[in-house]
Amino acid sequence: MSDEQVSDQVEEQVQEPSADDVLAGELSELFALQLDRLAQWDLCLIAESDNFIDVLRYLRDKKSFAVLLDITAVDYLSFPGHRDERFAVVYLLKNLETCQRICIKVMVEEDEARLQTVCRLWKNANWLEREVFDQYGIHFQGHPNLKRILNHHQFVGHPLRKDYPVQKRQKLSVNDPMLDQLHQRLEENGYIIIEEAKPGESIQFGEQA
Amino acid sequence: MKVQAPDGQELELMTVNMGPSHPATHGTLRIFTALDGENIVASACEMGYLHRGFEKMVEQGTFNQVLPYTDRLNYCSSIMNNIGFCKAVEKMFDVELPERCITLRVIVAELSRIIDHLVCVGTNLVDLGALTNFWYFFNPREEVYKIWEKLCGARLTNTFTRIGGLYRDAYVGFEDEVSLVLKSIESAIDDVRGLIEHNKIFVERTRDVCVVSKEDAISYGWTGPCLRASGVDHDLRKDEPYYGYETYDFDSVIGTTGDTFDRIMVRIYEMIESISIIRQALERLKPGPVNSTDARVRLPNKDQVYHDMEALINQFKLIYEGVRPPMGQCYDATEAANGELGFFIVSDGGTNPYKIKVRPPCFMQFAAFSDMIEQSQVADAFATLGSINIIAGELDR
Repeated sequence: MSDEQVSDQVEEQVQEPSADDVLAGELSELFALQLDRLAQWDLCLIAESDNFIDVLRYLRDKKSFAVLLDITAVDYLSFPGHRDERFAVVYLLKNLETCQRICIKVMVEEDEARLQTVCRLWKNANWLEREVFDQYGIHFQGHPNLKRILNHHQFVGHPLRKDYPVQKRQKLSVNDPMLDQLHQRLEENGYIIIEEAKPGESIQFGEQA
Repeated sequence: MKVQAPDGQELELMTVNMGPSHPATHGTLRIFTALDGENIVASACEMGYLHRGFEKMVEQGTFNQVLPYTDRLNYCSSIMNNIGFCKAVEKMFDVELPERCITLRVIVAELSRIIDHLVCVGTNLVDLGALTNFWYFFNPREEVYKIWEKLCGARLTNTFTRIGGLYRDAYVGFEDEVSLVLKSIESAIDDVRGLIEHNKIFVERTRDVCVVSKEDAISYGWTGPCLRASGVDHDLRKDEPYYGYETYDFDSVIGTTGDTFDRIMVRIYEMIESISIIRQALERLKPGPVNSTDARVRLPNKDQVYHDMEALINQFKLIYEGVRPPMGQCYDATEAANGELGFFIVSDGGTNPYKIKVRPPCFMQFAAFSDMIEQSQVADAFATLGSINIIAGELDR
């Protein structure tokens, strides 16, 4: 081994722990979080369904992870070697100052596919949670308007679940009058509804299912 | 509908659907509004008209078969989606890309950013009644599409990159044609700036219209030009540089108030920065290979396949099965024309992706739309819808 290689190795040993390691250490100490062994390329920690909101709030308020980049879920039904809960809900956060990213994962049981909403922490969580509900059937308790967002409102089932057949077809015909959402918005804006709008004759295409 | 306003006044509101099929929505979006005359007092947005199950479809094919689907996300700048996806998979493989591949990717990505902004600003100005700018912008855009056609055979759905490289090298004369097109883009930008920048009608229609504060933009998870228009200096090319963006000399364009005027102007000035990046990249473009030699992702040379058993097996495995990223989950993002385009990939070690989630930048922008347009007028809503650049292909996936 040449001198150069030896000095390289020494340098590696005295290197300071990365920002990710420091944050992971701090969070596991405070909230007893586990490192996710699957995420070998990013920082990802597994939180429990009863403390993940505290973790997210701590990250947002104390660690300036101000941006909620995305919420998604993973269905581990056919994942090789997976024996824990079926679903994981994944929260991706970003710190705008240091550009550090962190991923918080919460495992969710199939029978009780529900979690607390984070709508009060971030404004975009409203639609992101609606998408997870639509695609995976995970309910978010306390969500103001947990409706389908990508699929048609008459759609039955949750298409991104691994047991939803790809070839399955559904006939969807009636459009969504959306008056309930509009009334809700009006009330949020301080208007009192005296006489509700009546839904127009919804146009029905073909036979009704 | 009869309501009592917060000030106690009794109002008769009219409910109106804007969209889903309306020229000014530039896509299939539905904005259901309650109007008091011209003023929007409440609105609810509906999306999903273009939902085609991208995330379910991609689980059925191999990793390289995902690429044509990514073209159809933000179809105004397809190549940037190709690059975003390839970069995420390459992160899982830890592939080293050759210098020429990286520089070519930078050139085509910045050209895509320019044509995306040309469409966004051009059509937005049409909504405001300024049709001439549309012609000024769409002529150079057409020239870029001619370059795409020569480069990969397709105009809109390019599928130009591959995991670990590119579909093919640039054709002879590519550099000269790009330099020429940059000149016509520059003169188009000058023409449009001359028409709008100090135009009283344009400025009054867009200044202080649908303002989004810094705090709201961050809370809504905005990224890209819209976030920068609200005054947040954040650009992945600067803050988490990839493909050597840190070595290029360019500026971030930051707005001050976060109104519709800023969102349009940030896009116009970003095009000027992109032109400068492309000029620098063209100077660096040196001959060389465009594909990685990594046997896990790229096919071996035909010469080796004919004379070497290992190379033959390698070719067979890659063709019949496809690439196999290691088991795990990975998130990677690039600065696309609209903001941070992220791919969250879960791999079970097989040839098909176990799960891919796209983080479309305009989803967050449309999520804020109801809040933005309430208390403003119908015409302002359309001016604003154009300025946040909602692309239904990316929004609905």
